[in-house]
Amino acid sequence: MAFEVPKNTYNGKIREITLGSGPSALKIGGETSYPLYIFEGAVPNKVKIAMEVWDTKPDDWPEAALEPFADVIADPVAWAKKCVDAYGAEAICLQLVSTDPNGANRGADEAAALVKKVADAISVPLIVWGTANHDKDTEVLRKVAEVCQGKTLAIGPVEEGDHKKIGAAAIGYNHTVVASTPIDINLAKQLNILLGNLGVSDDRIVMDPTVSSLGYGIEYCYSVMERVRQAALTQNDERLQFPFICNISREVWKTKEAKQPTAEAPELGDAARRGILMEAISATLLLVAGADLIIMRHPEAIKLVREVVNDLTG
Amino acid sequence: MAGVARKNLRKVSFEPDNVEVIVPEGTNLLETAIKAGVRISASCGGAGVCGTCKVRVQKGEVETKRTPKLSEEEFNRGTRQACQSRVLTDLVIYVPVESRLEKAVLNREAKEASEVLAGGWRFTPPLRKYYVELSPPTLEDNISDLSRVLRELKRQYLLRDMTVDFDVVKNLAKVVREGGWKVTVTTLVTAVKPSTQEKRRPRVIRVEPGDTRDKHYVLAFDIGTTTVWGQVLDLNRGKIIATSVEFNGQISYGQDVISRIAYSQKHGLKKLQKAVIDTVNTVIGEVLAKSKVKAADISHLCIAGNTTMMQLLLGLDPRYIRLAPYTPVANMVPPVKAKSLGINLAEHVYLFSFPSPSSYVGGDIVSGVVGSGMHQRHELTLFVDIGTNGEMVIGNSEWMVTASCSAGPAFEGGGIKHGMVATDGAIDDFTVDPKTLEPKIGTINNSRPKGICGSGLIKIIAGLFLAGVVEPNGKFRHGLNPDRVREGTDGYEYVLARAGETQTGGDIVITEVDIDNLIRAKAAIYAGCQTLVKSVGSSVADIERVIIAGAFGRHLDIESAITIGLFPDIDRRRYAYIGNGSLLGARLVSFSTDLLDDARKVARMMTNFELSENTDFMNNYVAAMFLPHTNYADFPEVARKLGRGVRV
Repeated sequence: MAFEVPKNTYNGKIREITLGSGPSALKIGGETSYPLYIFEGAVPNKVKIAMEVWDTKPDDWPEAALEPFADVIADPVAWAKKCVDAYGAEAICLQLVSTDPNGANRGADEAAALVKKVADAISVPLIVWGTANHDKDTEVLRKVAEVCQGKTLAIGPVEEGDHKKIGAAAIGYNHTVVASTPIDINLAKQLNILLGNLGVSDDRIVMDPTVSSLGYGIEYCYSVMERVRQAALTQNDERLQFPFICNISREVWKTKEAKQPTAEAPELGDAARRGILMEAISATLLLVAGADLIIMRHPEAIKLVREVVNDLTG
Repeated sequence: MAGVARKNLRKVSFEPDNVEVIVPEGTNLLETAIKAGVRISASCGGAGVCGTCKVRVQKGEVETKRTPKLSEEEFNRGTRQACQSRVLTDLVIYVPVESRLEKAVLNREAKEASEVLAGGWRFTPPLRKYYVELSPPTLEDNISDLSRVLRELKRQYLLRDMTVDFDVVKNLAKVVREGGWKVTVTTLVTAVKPSTQEKRRPRVIRVEPGDTRDKHYVLAFDIGTTTVWGQVLDLNRGKIIATSVEFNGQISYGQDVISRIAYSQKHGLKKLQKAVIDTVNTVIGEVLAKSKVKAADISHLCIAGNTTMMQLLLGLDPRYIRLAPYTPVANMVPPVKAKSLGINLAEHVYLFSFPSPSSYVGGDIVSGVVGSGMHQRHELTLFVDIGTNGEMVIGNSEWMVTASCSAGPAFEGGGIKHGMVATDGAIDDFTVDPKTLEPKIGTINNSRPKGICGSGLIKIIAGLFLAGVVEPNGKFRHGLNPDRVREGTDGYEYVLARAGETQTGGDIVITEVDIDNLIRAKAAIYAGCQTLVKSVGSSVADIERVIIAGAFGRHLDIESAITIGLFPDIDRRRYAYIGNGSLLGARLVSFSTDLLDDARKVARMMTNFELSENTDFMNNYVAAMFLPHTNYADFPEVARKLGRGVRV
């Protein structure tokens, strides 16, 4: 008798979600097997990489992360265009860092106008990421949703505490919601149920499981993502069958190991190479765990991850 | 002519409570019952329109107003509405079960009791009274007084190998002579290992002059973290003759067992011990007064309680209950003289306490299990006792596994803005109009509302959830009925009763914080059950019988409890209530030595699982913190009611 490779059986499928609209639309998700198990099921969409752009000039980025964007760092529109044109970004994630009430506390109107400008300037889908301050995000993201009607943005993080108001705006202006929960399968599912009850359509939800950098508990994120996929695919848990979006780069580049200059820690090797590898390895772990879209920063790290994606998805 | 003649006093006795009260002629019968402490249901508050207060006049005469609520046949049989009747002569009144306050639930209990309660036991109380007539000593027969008593017991009742308390010998010479060589001997037996040949040795605990066999009473107690219940039992008739309840005096030193233990470490065990002994004495005083039994005629005290409560009562340091690996002082505490602990009972009375399997599964659970008869049946049973702690037992006649988790005081009305215990004026019933979202509330005794009790809380949240006013995460949906759902000092709240309608003079509301507390409590219980069931390789669907005991047993609406996800969504017919299981068991072992043996067996059978060490439990807990549950598929019937299809 010939040897047969044992196979998992699946009765569920991850939803295929379209980010953006028109010619720039981007599909993510849709897999019918565990991540990258192309020998067991369909993986219709390769893992996508979005590049992050800040709405303000970052003041705590290490040299290595700043260097590729040095010419555009003070202009989010130019920055976004460079990501697309020079580095082939498949999507842009605009991080609204300056709206943080504990920081620059920029107002909603100003923030929304900037989002609109960036969205108009690029030909790829736009993800807009707030500060996770419920009151401020409600104010800012609602305005963003309104101003950018027709752009089909992905807006987040939408958490239990602000899901109603931001969710309602997303429904009203037809955007996708990034449902964000703190590394817990049950909380993730609960938020998806609440969004469904609110009336957010199932093809307008992506999940942010909350991720952390290599060396800072990424294995815990891995386990939770793995469990979500098991429930979604083998137990056909409908409220967990949404693609994952992982906002990893800012987690990596704020770690001590990514920031320490070579001179300070010569035993850790070249600082630039170190930071890039940490980002690439973190992203690789997440794509193995099931990420469908990863938000990244350094073009070199992105290059490495793309190679891995191509190697593993064929 | 009646004129202004002096009102005659009349004696009215109520059966089956066997209590009497003296009232002036012409007194309303419902008021008479209230005065006697007999709780008769009168939903309409005495207006004569509900027909729930029907009683039967067995002896004597009343003056009554006929209403359409009384059929011809009932009237001819002597049935009257208590609220419409006035006392004319001395009376004997029988209060049928359906007219008691706990009517609906009691009916259910009566129906289900035969199925779920322990059966097959013989009426063989561990405590017996033997009357013997001795031949007075002579020069030819001058054996000792004690030998004389024992010889006669052996001759007449075949009692041998007896042990004798020193207290008996102390007064024996006087007692036998006082009684003219006629005495009544009280003996006590303790549990033996079931199905062994171990010999039971009766212990002589008391010898009284004369024949006192007709005064044969014992006490059964349940000492809970929140409440202390006591009953006087008549061992000649095998029935309860009085029941009473008081708050545990330790409440002011902490709401749960952990804070009590902490208090005992800081401020001394003595203070807590005294507090609970005082409560026990108060309850004893109340039941003796109600039953008209003299303290001296009480022969035994049987107490069930959780491990911490028992250790505090007995003055045993509970420190190690709280520290890993959580060890109690003893699983079986030897019987101790009640008087030596400061309990107001005669010198001969022993305190028997139920064996405790572990630190967090105590004698109260053993008692409940024995009372429910779970240990006698083969069907897979889940026993859940709900109080400040939730304890669960799964198993059958062959094995039992237990676990316990902390639910907090929400089910007893604690930690709830307008929470209260289930007494007069507590909201315990609730419906909401699905269109207007206006509430309809019911209260205990139909008094004006004063607060919300645990069972009311469950009904309210289940009702609001099904009506869509409360979302699955326990938050209010806004803008539906701004009159009822409004922003208060603790976030959003729903107004159950307005200031003008309440006893408190303020609005009675339910807040999002209250709902959060209840969700946490119900999640702990459900997750505990789920984890325990899974740990023995079963699923909730396999459970053939669910027995609910504890804090609200009598008033709990199972349907609502399932709706909020407190209990598994399985066939409602598998559920049964037993009310206060701990007290039930204490009563039954007082009636039957067989069950006393069973209690020992059950305690030994139980294998305890520590949920605090279980990672599954935490996951299940978070999954359960949602209405009804994160996994709708586990609650198919509730999902159906919510109009949410579940794909199977």
